[in-house]
Amino acid sequence: MKRFKAVAILSAAAMVTSLLGGCGNSNGKTASKEAGKDGIREYTAFFSTTGIELNDDNVIQQKIAEITGAKVKENWLTGQSASEAIGTMIAGGEYPDMIDGGDGSSQLYDAGALIPLDDYLDKYPNLKNFWSEENWDKVRQPDGHIYWIPQFGNPYKKDMSPTPAEAFWIQTRVLKWAGYPEIKTLKEYFKLLEDYHAANPTMEDGTTNIPYTILCDDWRYFCLENPPQFLAGYPNDGSVIVDPETKKIVDYNTIDEAEEYFKILNEEYAKEMIDPEAFTQSYDEYIAKLSSGRVLGMVDQWWQFQTARDSIDQQNLADQGCSYVPLGLTIDEGVTANYNTKAAINVGSGLAITVSCKDPEGALQFLNDILSPEVRILRGWGIKGVDYEEGEDGLFYRNDEQWKNSTDSAYKASHICAYGYLPNYAGVLVDEKNASDPKQQPSEFAKSLPKDVQECLKAYNCETYLEMMDPMDDVPGPWFPMYSFSNTMTTATEGGMAWNKMREIKQEYLPKVVMSSDFTKGWNEYLKAYKEANPDAFINEMQEELDRRIKNAAKYAK
Amino acid sequence: MVSTQGKAKAPISKFNWKEFKKQKVLMIWSAIFVVYGVVFCYVPLFGWLMAFQNYKPAKGVFGSEFVGMAKFAQLFSDATFLRVIRNTLAMGVINLVFTFVTAIAFAILLNELQFKFGKKSVQTISYLPHFLSWIVVTGILNDILSGTGIVNELLMKFGILSQPLNFFAHPPYFWWIVGFANVWKETGWNAIIYLAAITAIDPTLYEAAAIDGAGRWAKIKYIILPGIKPTIMILLLLNIGNVLNAGFEVQYLLGNGLVQRVSQTIDIYVLKWGISQLDYSLGTAAGIFKSVVSIILIVFTNWLAKRSGEERLF
Repeated sequence: MKRFKAVAILSAAAMVTSLLGGCGNSNGKTASKEAGKDGIREYTAFFSTTGIELNDDNVIQQKIAEITGAKVKENWLTGQSASEAIGTMIAGGEYPDMIDGGDGSSQLYDAGALIPLDDYLDKYPNLKNFWSEENWDKVRQPDGHIYWIPQFGNPYKKDMSPTPAEAFWIQTRVLKWAGYPEIKTLKEYFKLLEDYHAANPTMEDGTTNIPYTILCDDWRYFCLENPPQFLAGYPNDGSVIVDPETKKIVDYNTIDEAEEYFKILNEEYAKEMIDPEAFTQSYDEYIAKLSSGRVLGMVDQWWQFQTARDSIDQQNLADQGCSYVPLGLTIDEGVTANYNTKAAINVGSGLAITVSCKDPEGALQFLNDILSPEVRILRGWGIKGVDYEEGEDGLFYRNDEQWKNSTDSAYKASHICAYGYLPNYAGVLVDEKNASDPKQQPSEFAKSLPKDVQECLKAYNCETYLEMMDPMDDVPGPWFPMYSFSNTMTTATEGGMAWNKMREIKQEYLPKVVMSSDFTKGWNEYLKAYKEANPDAFINEMQEELDRRIKNAAKYAK
Repeated sequence: MVSTQGKAKAPISKFNWKEFKKQKVLMIWSAIFVVYGVVFCYVPLFGWLMAFQNYKPAKGVFGSEFVGMAKFAQLFSDATFLRVIRNTLAMGVINLVFTFVTAIAFAILLNELQFKFGKKSVQTISYLPHFLSWIVVTGILNDILSGTGIVNELLMKFGILSQPLNFFAHPPYFWWIVGFANVWKETGWNAIIYLAAITAIDPTLYEAAAIDGAGRWAKIKYIILPGIKPTIMILLLLNIGNVLNAGFEVQYLLGNGLVQRVSQTIDIYVLKWGISQLDYSLGTAAGIFKSVVSIILIVFTNWLAKRSGEERLF
């Protein structure tokens, strides 16, 4: 009994000291394993977006580790918003080795959590050449250093992307039922949904269809609030419209097209065409709804409902025509849609190395190595003979089973490792024959599509999704996209304060406007509350940034 | 508390090593708790300094600029903050009143059950929800209150509603949904302590009352309730100090843009405007406000209890 007591006291004391030790250590380095078993360096990474957690014994990750001598354990956002996750991390003062702070990137910079990369970059040619000198300059922070490497919008040699970004999506069964009509305006879109829903209120198994839903969960509410910019014919600057003629910032929240858009939503809500749970559903519930195939249409970004598309595919719901195709709608017939722009660098965020990383050289070496031709194939296509085949003409292809595997979430976790949020090229591989991403391989593209989408594209005489809506336009100017600035604003500035208040007002009032029994009254209430958020302060700061970007770009124009 | 007891037995004036050695084990255990308290309750208070600074993580607590009460001024000039105080208080009071009353009523009802097996199983089942995390509970709530959930189905079956009602889209319902969730989750658990207090009542009192012709109702009124009164008072005191801890997870998980006006609590405010926006000073100021109000509430109710001669904390 006595001995037991002594042991208990000792272990309690040990616990206290270890806790104390833990406190004192908090400013130190994270205990990332320098070199794990078989001499492979391991790094940790956090990405401020949702993603698939890979299994520890992931096949391709292991293969890449054998080539590069390192691997990265990827962690993703779960539940919180990016800025919450980053804010908490900064408060704790402990970081993973690599981080993509998303909207919180500039916060990480402010907190001194990131190491400047300029001095290192010259040593790693693949990384250095990843962006042009002009683009590297765009990423420089106020202190003149480069802290992160934007991973996206960088096509190698040529832009191959056949997929749109944000669009009004519609299930192929609706179009098929109506005999594949031309749908150009928002009014036509809802008219079609109404007609289809009246004729087909349920799916084959009796589940009620939801004609239109809106994702409105926290920061994802852009699916409700930013369509006015597209409907008015402007590209995705995200938070504002830039008038390309006058180079002036226009607030899209109050333009006539916005009023018209919300008026239509309001009418459709009254007609019970809009999901009554739209404004109270969480992102997970939304994805579950889409995955069930019940939802006929919605606005979304392509990447945001990837899991739902995979799920529809895995359940063979394509047989019922539940896959989505995009439409580039406008308010008036006369407006040219401008939903898609060619790849542009997003300077607001990127992959950074944190001060907690014990071995920045090793981490950068790894990032450099995974841009090598060999690893690029592994990341995009996988292992030859397993994930893809090579034809006699040197063109890669996947057979049906390999395509099916590529949307299976279990297979993705155990086998595929794209390191999707580490720097990677889009476009083509080094052979300049094959696309980086199998889904962008022209000869494969059609095969990767669900059956009903193939049929639908054929009916419209299109080859890609993009041709269904509007072609890739050139980047409108060196300022594009402006959201890379607004995403980084915090309440530290007057404009940032206004931006946050505006968001709060919009999240509350826009759903009210849609649900209101009297649109004019609801809209006026919204306008009144919106004015109180001081949007002018925000617009002014955006204008300053626009001017700065135009001035900066002028240096390179000469 | 443990440490003061230790000292009480060995007053400083009579301190001697012999006495100390005798209580060696007690001393060691006390020391552990003191260290625990200092490390986890008092050392973090050092961070309160941030509330009086324009804190920047890169500069740290020592390097940041002092701004006095500016952050508090900012806090109280923010209409949103005043609203979250209202929400927190409202939900705190609703939670307190309902969980309190239901727990006592439930304990008394359970005590009246003669069938022992039924009593035990009801008790076990009723406290199980306590162990569910809020994410699960809010998931269940979302399901039962959804358009196709059981509540809407029943209301429509009985003809009270003609079409499903989206409970989460209407601000007036929100506080009550949270209150209901708390009652559902905590009633069984909270009842345990009252049940224990009831069992401690001397059985001869019941016999005496029965001889005097008291029925069940009279026994409850004149024996059980007075018998557990000290327990009730102590728990009430403790819970009043907790009113401002009206919750974080449940409001965070159930809230949405439409009801944010009534759903956000001080804790959510701290997360949203403090941590997400990196304004740690503002967040700390809000946290200090919450702590100070809680302390005032406890001291005040304790004083009230003392005045009316009831059981009290200190």
